[in-house]
Order: sequence, then C-alpha cells, then structure tokens
Amino acid sequence: MDLPRDTLLGAYRGMRTIRAFEEKLQELVQAGRLAGFLHLYVGEEAIAVGVCSQLSNADVVGSTHRGHGHCIAKGVDVKAMMAELFGRSTGICKGKGGSMHIADMEKGMLGANGIVGGGIPLVTGAALTAQVKHTGGVAVAFFGDGATNQGQFHESLNMAANWKLPAVYVVENNGFGEFTPTEFVVPVRDIADRAISYGMRSDIADGMDFFDVYAKAGEAIEHARAGQGPTLLECKTYRFYGHFVGDPLVYRNKQEAEDWIQNKDPLDIFERKATEAGVLEADDLRTIDGEVAALINEAVDEAERAPLPDPAEVLTDVYVNG
Amino acid sequence: MARELSTGQAISEALHIAMQSDPDVILLGEDVAGGGTREGDDVDEMGGIVGVTRGLVKAFGPERVRDTPISEMGILGTAVGAAATGLRPVAELMFMDFLGVSLDPLLNQAAKLRYMFGGKARVPLTVRTLMGAGMRAAAQHSQSLYWITAGIPGLKTVIPSSPSDAKGLLLASIRDDDPVVFCEPKGILNQRGEVAEGDYEIPLGVANIVREGSDLSLIAFGATVRVALQAAKTLEQAGTSVEVLDLRSLSPLDEEAILTTLEKTGRVVVVDEATPRCGIASDVAALCVDKGFDFLNAPVKRVTAPHTPVPFSAVLEDAFMPSAQRVLDAVGEMG
Amino acid sequence: MPTAVAMPKLGMTMEEGTVVNWLVALGEPTLQGHTVLVIESEKAEVEIEAAATGVLRHVYVPEGETVPCGTLLAAITPTADEPFDADAFHGAENRPEQPRVEPIAAAPISAAPAASPGATGEPRRAFAPAARALARKLAIDLDAVTGSGPRGRVTKEDVEAYAERRKALVTVADDVALEVPSQGEGEPVLLLPGFGVDVSAFARQVPVLAERMHVRGVNPRGVGLSDAPEGDRYDVATTAEDAATLVDGPAHVIGASLGAAAALELALFHPQKVRTVTLITPFLEADGRLIAVAEAWSRIAAEASSQTLASALLPWLFSPQTLTDDAIRARLSRGLAATVARVPAATLTRALAGLRAWSGTRLGDVASLSVPSLVIAGGADLLTPNAESVASALPSAKLVSIPNAGHAVALEAPDEVNRALLSHLA
Repeated sequence: MDLPRDTLLGAYRGMRTIRAFEEKLQELVQAGRLAGFLHLYVGEEAIAVGVCSQLSNADVVGSTHRGHGHCIAKGVDVKAMMAELFGRSTGICKGKGGSMHIADMEKGMLGANGIVGGGIPLVTGAALTAQVKHTGGVAVAFFGDGATNQGQFHESLNMAANWKLPAVYVVENNGFGEFTPTEFVVPVRDIADRAISYGMRSDIADGMDFFDVYAKAGEAIEHARAGQGPTLLECKTYRFYGHFVGDPLVYRNKQEAEDWIQNKDPLDIFERKATEAGVLEADDLRTIDGEVAALINEAVDEAERAPLPDPAEVLTDVYVNG
Repeated sequence: MARELSTGQAISEALHIAMQSDPDVILLGEDVAGGGTREGDDVDEMGGIVGVTRGLVKAFGPERVRDTPISEMGILGTAVGAAATGLRPVAELMFMDFLGVSLDPLLNQAAKLRYMFGGKARVPLTVRTLMGAGMRAAAQHSQSLYWITAGIPGLKTVIPSSPSDAKGLLLASIRDDDPVVFCEPKGILNQRGEVAEGDYEIPLGVANIVREGSDLSLIAFGATVRVALQAAKTLEQAGTSVEVLDLRSLSPLDEEAILTTLEKTGRVVVVDEATPRCGIASDVAALCVDKGFDFLNAPVKRVTAPHTPVPFSAVLEDAFMPSAQRVLDAVGEMG
Repeated sequence: MPTAVAMPKLGMTMEEGTVVNWLVALGEPTLQGHTVLVIESEKAEVEIEAAATGVLRHVYVPEGETVPCGTLLAAITPTADEPFDADAFHGAENRPEQPRVEPIAAAPISAAPAASPGATGEPRRAFAPAARALARKLAIDLDAVTGSGPRGRVTKEDVEAYAERRKALVTVADDVALEVPSQGEGEPVLLLPGFGVDVSAFARQVPVLAERMHVRGVNPRGVGLSDAPEGDRYDVATTAEDAATLVDGPAHVIGASLGAAAALELALFHPQKVRTVTLITPFLEADGRLIAVAEAWSRIAAEASSQTLASALLPWLFSPQTLTDDAIRARLSRGLAATVARVPAATLTRALAGLRAWSGTRLGDVASLSVPSLVIAGGADLLTPNAESVASALPSAKLVSIPNAGHAVALEAPDEVNRALLSHLA
C-alpha cells in the first residue's frame, strides 16, 4: 500500500460521495420528489474513482447513461449535478440535459450519454485532439458490457489502435446489459479479449477493489500518455441496483445479488484494506461519511429551492451563432 | 482575378486555405489521402473518391490528413469528439447515402451536445459529403438526403450550386463553430466556373438571387439551379420574366429571401432533386402558404424526383432527375 | 291484354318524375312507338312512347303530379270497349319504388359542418390568395370579378383589371354610377351604345377619335360595371340625362340605335351641351321586327350562353356578304359574344321597356333640333331600315348611307363610319 494518505482519503471521499448521491436519488424517486430516467452507479464506485483519481482537468472522460459516478469522480460540482436532476436553471446544464447528459467541459467531462456506445467515439475523438495538438492528455471512455456489442465500440477501438491514440477504454462489466445477463449476448468470457481483434493492449481488474483498479488503470494511462497507444481495461463489477430506478429486478438471481452486495461492497473492501494496512483510521472515514451526508442533504435542499428555467430557454443554446 | 475551376478544384482550394490558416483544421475520411503516405516511388495518393483531397496530405502531413477505416459511424463520432475538445475537423462521409450507418454521431451527439450541456460545449465540425444523382451510381450511392440533416435542430446544412459558391461556402462552414453538413452535388462536380483567388467566405443562411425577374420565381439549390436557369431562358423567350433564387443554405433557411421573391412575383416553383416526401420543396411550399399566403397568385409547384429509389440505366436516371422540361410543365399547370 | 304505362327509371339516380303533358287524350288511339306523354325529371323533359297500339283506356296520374319511378300512369287496351278493371290493373301493375333508405351515418367526430360547394350546388369559384388580399384592400366584391386562371380561378391580375375598369366609374345621379371608359385628349366626345351592347361596340371608332379628341364611352344603367338600379324600366330620357351630367361644355354626341335615341334626347333638350350629334342606324319609331328581335334577345340572354346569343344575333346585325366569310363570321361572333355578355337579362328587360315607351314619342319634336346633325345608315340594315328617313325628318341633317352594311354598321364598315365621323366632327 504505497499510495499517499491524501490520495486514499480523496479516493474514499469520492466513492462515498457517489454512494451517498445515488442512494439519495433512490430515496427521492421513491418519495416522488424526483422524476426522469435514473440509472444508479451503486456498487461500481471503485472503478470511476480508481481511474479518475489519476486524471487531471486536461484529461477528458466520456461516460454512459449510468454516468453520475464518473461525473463526481471527475470533479463535477455535486450541487450543480443535483440541481440539474431537479431540472433547475442552476443545474450544471441549466436544466437542459438531465441525468443522462450531465457534463462539464471545464473538468474534462465530455458528458454522460443516452446512446449506448455513443460516448466511445467521442472519447476517441478527444484522444485524437490530444495527439494532434500534442497536449499530453489522455482520454478515457467508460462504458458497459452491453456497449461492447455496438458497432461504435468496434469502429472506435479499431481506429484508436490504428492511430495509437492516447485512450483508455474502460468496460464496466456488471453482468447485465439492461435486463439481459451478459453471458447471453457476449460470446467471450472476458470482454478484454476483444482487444485482440484490434491488436490492442488489454487488462482485467477486480472492479470492486479500488486498489486493483487503480494499479491497472495507472498502467493503461501511462501507456497512453507515453504515446504507446490505447488499452481496453475490463473491470469486473456488479450493479447493486437495477438498470434504472424502479426496475423490479425480477431477472436477477437474488442469492447472487445478495452475495455481491453483502460481501463485495467496494466501500467495505477499501475500508478494510486501508485500515488493515494502517494507513487510514476508521474515524477518518466516519468523519468523511458525515461530511458527505451533509453535502448531499444541502445539495438536495438547495436544488429544491432553486429557480426553474425560463421557458424562453427552450430556444437558446442550439447554435453558437444563428 | 477570375480564373475557371471545377467545383472539385474549388473545394480542394478551400480545404487548402482552411488548413493553411488554422492548424486545428484536420481532415479525416476514407481515402482522403488514399495512399500518398506509403513508401515507394511508384505509389501516389488518390486524394479521395473523386480526387478532391489530392495534394493535401503532401502539404499538411499525415497527422492532419488521416485515412480512416471504412467505419462511418466511427469516423463521424470521432470527429465529433475531436471537435468538442479543441480541433476543427473536416470529416468526409464519402456518399451521403452512408448516413444510414452513421446518423447517431450527427443526430444524437453533434446536434445536441451544446444544447444538452446548457451551452457549454461547441462542436465546430464540418462533414463533407457527395450526394445526388447523375453519375449512374445507382440507388445506394445517389441519394439526396439533405432533408434529413436539415430537419435536425443543432445541425446546419448547406449546398453550393457552383464552383465559386462551393469554395466560399466551405470556408464559411469550416470556420462556423456549429456542426455543418456540406453537401457536394454530383451534378456540379465537373461544372467549371469563375472562382476568385484568395480567402473568401459566403455566409451561411443567406440565399442568392442568381437571376432577377418579376413574373415567376424558381427556387432551386445545388444541381437544380442550372435546371432552373435553363427553364428561365426558355420562359423568357415566351415573354415571362423569371427570377431564380439559389437557397445555398437549407438550414438555416433564408425565409426572408423566399418570402421576398414570392411577394415580388406571386408564383413559385421549387426545384429539388431529392424525393418528394417530407423534403425541402414541401418545406418551402409550406412556408409560402403559411407566411406568404396573401402573395400567392397561383399554387406553389414542386418539381422533385419521383418517390422511387434512384435507377441505374441512363435513360431512367435522366427521367428521375428534375429537368428544365418538367419545370416548364409545372409552370404550365400552375396558371 | 292491357298494357301499362309507368313512370320509367331513366337512370341510376332517378327517383321520381313529373307528368308534364299527356299527348294523347283519354279514349284516343295510341300507336306503338309514338309519344303518348311527356315527363320531366332532373330538369330534363323526356318523351315516353306508347308500348302498344290501342286506346288510352285509363289515366291514373294527371298532368302536374310527381310520382316515384314505377308508378302506374295509365293503361292502354287494344280496343276501346273490351272489359277493363282499372282498379284491379292498378293493384297488379302499380309498383312505385320505395325511397332509398340512407344508412344511418356514424356521428361525425368533428362538429364542424363540411364545407358545401355553395348553396346552389354550383362548383365553388377559386380565388388566388393574392387576388383575395387585393380585393380586400380595394374593397372589391370578388363575385363580380371574372377569373382568367385555370378552371376560372380569379388571379391578382383579374382583380387589378377589374379595379382598373372600375376607375372608369362616374357618379351621374344619387346612388347611380356609370362605367365611362375614356381615352384621348381634346374636345369631348360621348359615345352612347345601342340596345343590349356596351361601348365596346364602338371599338373601331375609339382609337381613331381618341387621336385628337377626349372620347368617353357611356355604358348606361345596368350595362357593364354601371350600377343597375331596380325598377321596371330604363327610360331613354334618363339615359340622356345621365349622359348630360357628364359634360359641362358642348360635346360631340354619337349614338347608335337605341343610343341614337338617347343622343337625340340630349340634343333636343340640352342643346347647349351638344356641339354635334351623330345618329348611327337610328329610329324614331321601332318597327315590329326591331321589337321582336329585342324580345328574342332578352329571352335568349336569360336562357342561353352569350355565344348562343351572339350566333343568333349575327344575321340581324350584319349584312349577308360580311357573313359569308367563315373566319370573319367567327371573329364577329366572338366579339359580339364578349360584348353582349356585359348586359344582363334584367337590364335587357328594362331597356326594352324603355325603348317601347320612347318609340314614336319624338316624331313631332325632331323638327326643332338645332344642333348640326349627321345620320349614318346601313344599306342592308334589317332592324332600322328607315334610318334614312330619320335624316329627312331632321332639319338640315347630313346623311351618309353605307351600302351593303347591316345594323351594326360601326363594326361592319368602320373605315367609312370613321371617315364620316371625322368629317362631321371637324
């Protein structure tokens, strides 16, 4: 365990924030205080944080419909995100994007994306920009196992490999594409093996273990930054909730789900490892828990009191000019 | 200084100027270099399916002029991502028919990022694409699908009718900060015309009166402008004074120019080489009826391709394409 | 065996017919194949032939009654006196069609009534939006505008032309404006057209006179765009008064036929307003043929097209020689059709009444005419054959007689007429 204390504290705070944010949304929807399609990242926090904690604002990240985790991990303002979900004018997208389109270009967050696989070519393009402009930046795409069946996935990885783009493609294999188990629709056991078709470097990480993700993502990022080309990094994980809020989850084996949720919670694993190694104290983490809880409550509070957009805003921001 | 260039040459010149003046402009597409970066004395570049981009990889290098795999969705998607993060890419969609396999990056990403992100993103992308009938390329390589992109909010769609317009409109499109679909009609590729030297832009969203008249307005664009001018000449001999309006821009549409010519003549024929349903001709006609009702002295006639795929055989393809005779027939019907 | 005579079904949509006329009286003989009665259905009269030779033994439906198809109208028996049970035959043979029962339509979803093609069932006229907008702006009644576009569509140009013509309207009395198209500059000339035509009857005179004079054609009440006040009669004196209102100083007044009567009135009673008077094919007393033709004119105008009317009038207005040439005849017919189209039937009735009222009333007055006068007569004029004698009745009237020209001499022999006019007006 040779990561500095601050890095670890920051990582925990990131994961706890994601967890608290998503749990709060679940609560709000069930209480009827929030509407829209919401896809929760609970259970996958270690991946977003494990990767993004190694990126700066100059590095670009693209995400999916299940994007809150990546946004938070990349440093997008939590209160502005909450306001966006409540459709307020103070939202990060002025209320015009919603859950699946949260973005912050200043933080290098190219957006959650409502089209499965839609973010992958965008990230490939961002990597192209970094290469052409010699910025030294990398671009990271987060997507699910289902997206690896999209044409956009194959075309993007093929192009990135051809041009040795500074990209990392992180597939969060959570065992399900919507309501269909992955094994029904992906003929290979390890999606990382798909990289072979593109002559691309690949790796597999335990998505529930921050440290494993951190290590392997770190290698992929370095590889890309050094101009050696892209990596397909498969993180094995599990989605604690359903595809979307309100999903009755009848298609999942309850035993299996219980096992993941009780025994493989990434926050528990992190705490155990960090405290056992003596680098962090449980108290440190509880303090963070409290601060995070307060932040989330404030975010909800402020969002609910924030103004709604002016209907005239329907017509704005279509074009830069005209 | 006036010299004659073909439309293809004019486009090439525009690309040259754009890339010279802005290092962020890059080209990507299938065969845009087309060789030219391979080793070997006996190997030269193709410069694209009709040679428009020849010479550019030699001038600007393989980093900025990139051959891509045959991955239209990947090409356009990558171009969108690059545009959103600081480059000014010009992606080539070899034939507009391939919109079928590449619509998502345009429809759901390029068109919407700015809006969805509350104004925080911009996508200064240009997609150049060859379209239209007339080259005996048959059904899957001859369509005019600009009505699809023109109907998508967040995109712009332009279409030149001459070499001179092609150069100016392309430079303006590349420098526009919004995603622009730049249509290259096959029907004018080899047309030659005067093209001014140097850097100049033709503004998007502004139509052009190519011929003034007072009895009848022919509204055309791309390859149909020549058809309209032919018909105008014949009508002039019979004593009708014909005005020809070249739309140049399909989105944004110069509504004012359309209504102005309608007010002047009271009689409008729209000549559109696409198929008839849900198209530009109908859009223009609806605008006339909606906002120019009191100026209408006759029905708005639409001369379009028929509601069929594009046929192969020359005699069939010629019957498919709008002709001066069909324009004359429409004028005869409208009274 | 008796034979039935029933109301026939003469078409898919015919449901009933009216007995108009029994051409064979009860008890009279019938001949197979010959008409026994006339019926009327859907505005057409149809002759019904007897199906058998014999005697019209019994009539069940009298004239004027309307009955459904299949109704027994009459019975024919071979002989007049063989036994015949009218009631029994009726019971057996009377098969009136039941009226078609319309299926009950589903209640319409929208409450708005469907636009009908006009209350009279006539096809709706089409108006280009630009025409409507201009008509609105100029306060023009679109119903009065003829359409020149496809299928009679009224275009903006049609409205503009109508408006232009309406500029020629001049008020001559309370609520009465007349259409007075004018041309040229110089001394004033008034043209007064004859019965049933408008000033276009002087089409060959206007350009010549307008070269050096201010020519004003006066369409009298009810003609062209002129107002058509209600009433039984348009008097000749009124026509003259209306014309008098149009000039202050002395004018050259030229009238043809009934227009000449008005010119005469004007010259007799407003001599200070008349520099010279020219009477083309005039009459002081209308003869029987003139009246008969005028009556027929009115009748045809009410019942037939202007083309039909023109073709009927040609032999009364033009000489046989002129009418020999097919092309000339066709051209004259077309022009005449356009002219007569501008005079509706109601006007003709009123004008004819005025003509008859005036006829013969000025025989004694003409001698007092003090204005230089010219009479132009046509040698083949059938309608006013005594035009020359009008010249004799006037004190010092010049006479120009054009041989082989009919009543419409101004159209038929325009050069000679123009020469005579220019000479008289000088």
